[in-house]
Amino acid sequence: MADAQRHVARFTNDSRIPGWDRAADLTKEPAVVPDAATTEVPAELRAAIEDAVRRFPVGDSAFIPALYAVQEQYGWCSPEGIEQAASVLARTPAALTAVATFYDMFRMEPLGRKTVYVCTNISCSLCGADELLEALEAELGEAPDVHIRGFECLGACDIAPMASVNGIYVGPIGLDQVPELARQIVAGDDPLPAKQLIKRPCADPKVAEK
Amino acid sequence: MTDTLLFTNIDEPGLNTIDVYLARGGYEQLGRALKMEREDLITELSGSGLRGRGGAGFPMGRKASFIPKGDMQKYVVCNADESEPGTFKDRELIQKNPHQLIEGLIIAAYAIDATINYIYIRGEYDQQADILDAAIAEARERGFLGEKILGSDFSVQLELSRGAGAYICGEETGLLDSLEGKRGNPRLKPPFPANEGLFNGPTLINNVETLSAIPSIIKLGAEGYAAIGVKDSSGTKLVSISGNVERPGNYEIELGTSSRELIYDLAGGPVDGRAIKCWFPGGSSTPVLTADDLDIGYDYDSIAAAGSMLGSGAIIVVDETQSVVELAYKLAKFYSHESCGKCTPCREGTAWTFHMVERIKEGTATPMDLDIMAAVQEQIIGHCLCVLGDAMAMPIGSLIAKFRDEFEAEIETNRNERERKLAEEFAAAEVEIEGISA
Amino acid sequence: MPRPVEKLVSLTINGNEVQAPAGMMLADAALKYGDVEIPVFCYDAKIGPPVGACRMCLVEIEGIPKMQAGCSVAVTDGMVVHTDTPTVKAAQEAVLEFILINHPLDCPVCDKGGECPLQDNAFGWGGGLSRFIEPKRHFEKPLALSPLIAIDRERCILCYRCVRYSQEVAEDFQLVLEERGADTFVTTFDGHPYVAPFSGNIIELCPVGALTSRPYRFRARPWDIEQAGSVCTLCPAQCNVSFSVRDERVLRVLGRDHEGVDDGWLCDKGRFAYQAIHVDERVTEPMMRDGGELRPVTWELAIESAAKLLSHAGANTGALVGGETTNEEGVLLTHLMRETLGSNDLDSRPGGALDLELLRALNAPKLQASVPDLQYAHAVLVLDCEPVDDAPILDLRLRKGVRHHGVKLLIGSSRPSALDERAAHSARFAPGCGEAFAAALGAELAGQSSASLAEAAGADPADVVALATQLREAGEEVVILWGERLTAGPRRNEGARALLNLADQLGLNDRDGAGLLEIPSGTNSRGLREVGVLPNASIGLGDAATVGRDAEQIGEALAAGDLSAVILLHSDPLLDQPSSALWQRALGKASTVIAHAAFLTPAVLEHANIVFPAESYAEKEGTVVHPDSRVQRLRRSIARQGETRAEWALLAELAARIGNDPKALTCSMVSARIFEQVPFYAGLSLDLIGGVGIRWSEREAAASFPAAPAAPFTLDAPPAAASPNGLLRLGSFRSIWASPEVEASPALAFLHPRQRVEISPGDAARLGIAHGENVTVASNGDSVTGLAHIRAAAPDGTVFLQTSIPKGSAALLEGPLVEVKRS
Ligand SMILES: Cc1cc2nc3c(=O)[nH]c(=O)nc-3n(C[C@H](O)[C@H](O)[C@H](O)COP(=O)(O)O)c2cc1C
Ligand code: SF4
Ligand code: FES
Repeated sequence: MADAQRHVARFTNDSRIPGWDRAADLTKEPAVVPDAATTEVPAELRAAIEDAVRRFPVGDSAFIPALYAVQEQYGWCSPEGIEQAASVLARTPAALTAVATFYDMFRMEPLGRKTVYVCTNISCSLCGADELLEALEAELGEAPDVHIRGFECLGACDIAPMASVNGIYVGPIGLDQVPELARQIVAGDDPLPAKQLIKRPCADPKVAEK
Repeated sequence: MTDTLLFTNIDEPGLNTIDVYLARGGYEQLGRALKMEREDLITELSGSGLRGRGGAGFPMGRKASFIPKGDMQKYVVCNADESEPGTFKDRELIQKNPHQLIEGLIIAAYAIDATINYIYIRGEYDQQADILDAAIAEARERGFLGEKILGSDFSVQLELSRGAGAYICGEETGLLDSLEGKRGNPRLKPPFPANEGLFNGPTLINNVETLSAIPSIIKLGAEGYAAIGVKDSSGTKLVSISGNVERPGNYEIELGTSSRELIYDLAGGPVDGRAIKCWFPGGSSTPVLTADDLDIGYDYDSIAAAGSMLGSGAIIVVDETQSVVELAYKLAKFYSHESCGKCTPCREGTAWTFHMVERIKEGTATPMDLDIMAAVQEQIIGHCLCVLGDAMAMPIGSLIAKFRDEFEAEIETNRNERERKLAEEFAAAEVEIEGISA
Repeated sequence: MPRPVEKLVSLTINGNEVQAPAGMMLADAALKYGDVEIPVFCYDAKIGPPVGACRMCLVEIEGIPKMQAGCSVAVTDGMVVHTDTPTVKAAQEAVLEFILINHPLDCPVCDKGGECPLQDNAFGWGGGLSRFIEPKRHFEKPLALSPLIAIDRERCILCYRCVRYSQEVAEDFQLVLEERGADTFVTTFDGHPYVAPFSGNIIELCPVGALTSRPYRFRARPWDIEQAGSVCTLCPAQCNVSFSVRDERVLRVLGRDHEGVDDGWLCDKGRFAYQAIHVDERVTEPMMRDGGELRPVTWELAIESAAKLLSHAGANTGALVGGETTNEEGVLLTHLMRETLGSNDLDSRPGGALDLELLRALNAPKLQASVPDLQYAHAVLVLDCEPVDDAPILDLRLRKGVRHHGVKLLIGSSRPSALDERAAHSARFAPGCGEAFAAALGAELAGQSSASLAEAAGADPADVVALATQLREAGEEVVILWGERLTAGPRRNEGARALLNLADQLGLNDRDGAGLLEIPSGTNSRGLREVGVLPNASIGLGDAATVGRDAEQIGEALAAGDLSAVILLHSDPLLDQPSSALWQRALGKASTVIAHAAFLTPAVLEHANIVFPAESYAEKEGTVVHPDSRVQRLRRSIARQGETRAEWALLAELAARIGNDPKALTCSMVSARIFEQVPFYAGLSLDLIGGVGIRWSEREAAASFPAAPAAPFTLDAPPAAASPNGLLRLGSFRSIWASPEVEASPALAFLHPRQRVEISPGDAARLGIAHGENVTVASNGDSVTGLAHIRAAAPDGTVFLQTSIPKGSAALLEGPLVEVKRS
């Protein structure tokens, strides 16, 4: 109980940041490069990382692809997965987490695999993105295996307000379309097929004239 | 207005595949370039007057000429990180005409003799990356990439590298660190990438649009290309127009076109005939302009003369119904979230500014906070390692300078609102203190 | 490789003309040559190239519109710099205001208070005002980062010195940043502690109180302590240290930055093992065995008894001298042995006496490389040693050479090396086959066939060819960093010849920046040899009048009853000598065992009749010689603890009581005598040695070093490495943490090694052994147990065990082959 009390944040505005109570567990061994002889790595994960290594003159360039591969394998960048990747890359697991936590697209805790990013940056919010996020979050509620979050500008301000559903950009999304979209996300269906950016013609009239 | 260059045939079905691209004359310019001497090619690129389309507007040919000669490994890195809020032009180019980019990139690689090259694309552009990956594979298959291409003795490799969500990786040296598998922190300059870039080798870094323009330059010739646009702003430019306009999207324009024409004629202006409160001329990092500035030409120098920057060519239009505090809030939130944290003024300054705007929204700020906020922006500008800090400080500084009254009014309103709420809560709560009840 | 050349440029700083070496960073040049301080946080030249992160050092440079970071701009001719303009002042105040946003004002309870760069900079350059009223970043504090280091993340100003150190100096890459922007924090992977041989350096690097020493926390304030400069004698690297002393107790050890020795770093043994000075287990009074047990006695009784026993044994006395012995103690011991008791049976080398001529050849001044040479050489060959275990700080120097100067690192060793990852090429050979390996390399370099020699060494012939090619092509400046084990054991003389031939092939003699650098087994091994603590040499490496027994022969003579007494001066043969079995027998048989020891290590505890308390290195005065020939001075920094007395005086007293007073009234008298008697030390004095030491091989007197035979030597064929035939070859190593001081230091005790059995995945599979399981290693009826440790890098056919640990040492087993099975 005393512990629980200590963990109550004293301030509201983010004065505590992730890792604020991260102490070392002194019973653990130091996290050196995991020895290949004693680290088992799933074959697909190893293959994905080794393929990435081949594409760069310096192996460390494969860090980001390796982290994607770990995320694909486990649904998030689990410590176990990071250790396995570190063993294949012959680097310390810390080197990999340092990189993973720098980027927004790596999940450092187990979250839903169905990923929904709603852009809440300037252009989208001028067109109602905050309301869209709120509505979508409410609609999805506690839907299993769904991870929804607001995101910085996704580079699709022409379809504001928009969302990226597992990498597929859709927009502009009207509030009336939220229930349908939510249903599609949960079911794993193609999201709002008519509103997918990939199908959108160029806005420039000169292009259409031809 | 001239015809399109970058957007020619852009909506033709299948243009992203090599057969259609070849049928439209694709890779012909590469063949021509490979027959030129490298020096002449660089002179040609310089002569075109093409300026970098990624944000800084540095002349592309000049940058290529800085690359040292010699047999060290050199690289071309294409910056396809496109994370500047409001910018989405590279996305359309990559998705619909990836071979134009690949062709331009190979020409640039040949010009500086770079045999290993990368395109660094933001991780969020998943579909676009797949399209680009397929296009690279096609180009490799058809012999535009690989050993001794098109019978020349130039061998060239190209790989696609995906980011994972970090705006700072658009900054060229942050990008290099990210490409090397590190946290995407910008590096100290000098040395500049042209001398010591990727894996310590000389590196030419250019934006997608810059490289995509190269085939047109070879086709039109330096003079032909330079004839388009205005002095020191030659060629066509893709402008991403978004925000409060009827027809948001990418438009290819001749540099120098009037901004009013872009915003009203092309993009349709704000809905319901609303007035424009302000507009960002070159992405969210550029100081805002107001309705008074609508008649200036959309080119590098004119926008600079108006006190802002053409940046990435992304116009964000804000209509009169929007709140400047909300704008400042979004800006500060974005830049503090995206600050890499390496240097003090940016890391602390962006976060502090964010907290101050937050307090304005909460109703706990006073007009003095506005002065502090303005001063903090001054404390950031020119003190940082890269210009991400400035990228927040300049637009926020411009908002405070141009809309001070509105900030003060909102501070006042929010304070009153908060006090009213507190009073209500107090009244509603059943507070009993020694016989006194509310 | 070219060293930095000092070409001077002139620049103007705040209106004054200043001359500084070109290429120097402005912040350094301004301070050193212009007496202008440019405040810094993230910059420290020791960590490597500047990163320009904190922005504290902004200055104006004429002709450059933006302000520049003074830490990262190299000075150029004609540069005009301003550090005191209103613009600069405003920038400094701005940066400090930003830095202090999240820094708590807990200076009164912060260990760093009073010696804190942030306090200093805030006072010197800050605006003295903060307008920040929002909540600061909050972290739980302090948290453990390791058993040795506490982290207080609230105080961290994100200067990244510590993580850059971990990544770019120690290269252990355990300490990293997570998250980004204002959320960034310093941490390790998934709550693992930061434990590495050099972790403690981050405490000194941190410019605020974010990283503090757990053993030192709240023990003292800067104004309570005094700093006393001396030398760490816990290993041959002899780093220069400064003891923080309060009330005659050492509370902390800091580095004393010496470019020629330690480059400003310390290993964690050197930083924390001072605790062993003040533990109850330490022997601080004389003891005698009484009814089978050691019990404290008076000094008078101990000395008188020792004198009696020694007089009685007379010439039948042997002496083993440990590496922590100073030159002065060594000389007084030889006086006691040779001139007083008439015995020549004394040795400071554990591996058997080396032919004196060869010893001279190996130590010839013109063939000696220096520590900085490791950093600038074209190539360094690490031969039969493991720097991180044997002389830790050199590991960092080698990494620096590779990282910053492109040194080509080549490794020839039996056990996989921590440096393999940084090496241009690494080769393995069978344990004990360094001679054959060196001969193979020499042959290959001479253009002869090396294949059969490589095979005799148990090495891959292709590796030998590759190393030789690299050595030949690297450039002129080659340094061979070699371990004493190459010249130990039955084939020690042949090993020395093979090494000298190799040096000859590479032309290392009399070449600047090139040469040999030995890592000996003991801290002051070099000095002890030079002052004649050898069975076959007199002071100054002269010929011994009578050649006595070496260490192994002393053991055998004791066991056979030919010797009856033995003096163990800072030496425990059960830990230091190759064969425990021999020494168990020898000590069991000896009627007199007199030990000078700080701890009751196995031989002392079981066998000593009389134990004299040994001074700790913080209590000692005298001189020692660094392996690269730098004579260094130990200064007494605290009072001797308990009843401890000066050992030089004790040795003199013993000789006097036996009837041959060496007339040594002070320790410096003995030092002076050494400087007179060792011809190649001529002209040295304690003053000249001072706080930084002096390399005698660079002085004129070095010309009087005794002549030695010149390579090439003819070599006979080395015996072939034992073929495993189902068994495994036995390899041994001594861990950095294998020392009584580590065991005795409460903070370090968790590192004191237990036996582990290192084998390759192939051998493990063949023997059905799983990682972490209990296994037994046996030979000739002796056996030791340990946990199986399977390493991908371990060579097939060899098992590695540790020596110098009290339980289950590899010295208990007789090689070359052993059997390994699940317990
Ligand atoms: C914070 C920051 C973000 C940037 N983001 C991008 C980007 O997303 N795409 C881009 O092309 N350039 C970006 N830039 C500009 C690049 O640093 C660089 O100038 C550009 O890639 C050079 O290419 P160009 O000359 O073709 O424009 C950014 C710069 C900064 C300081
Ligand atoms: S812990 Fe200390 S050394 Fe490390 S980043 Fe923070 S202030 Fe710098
Ligand atoms: S000391 Fe120069 S930026 Fe930190």
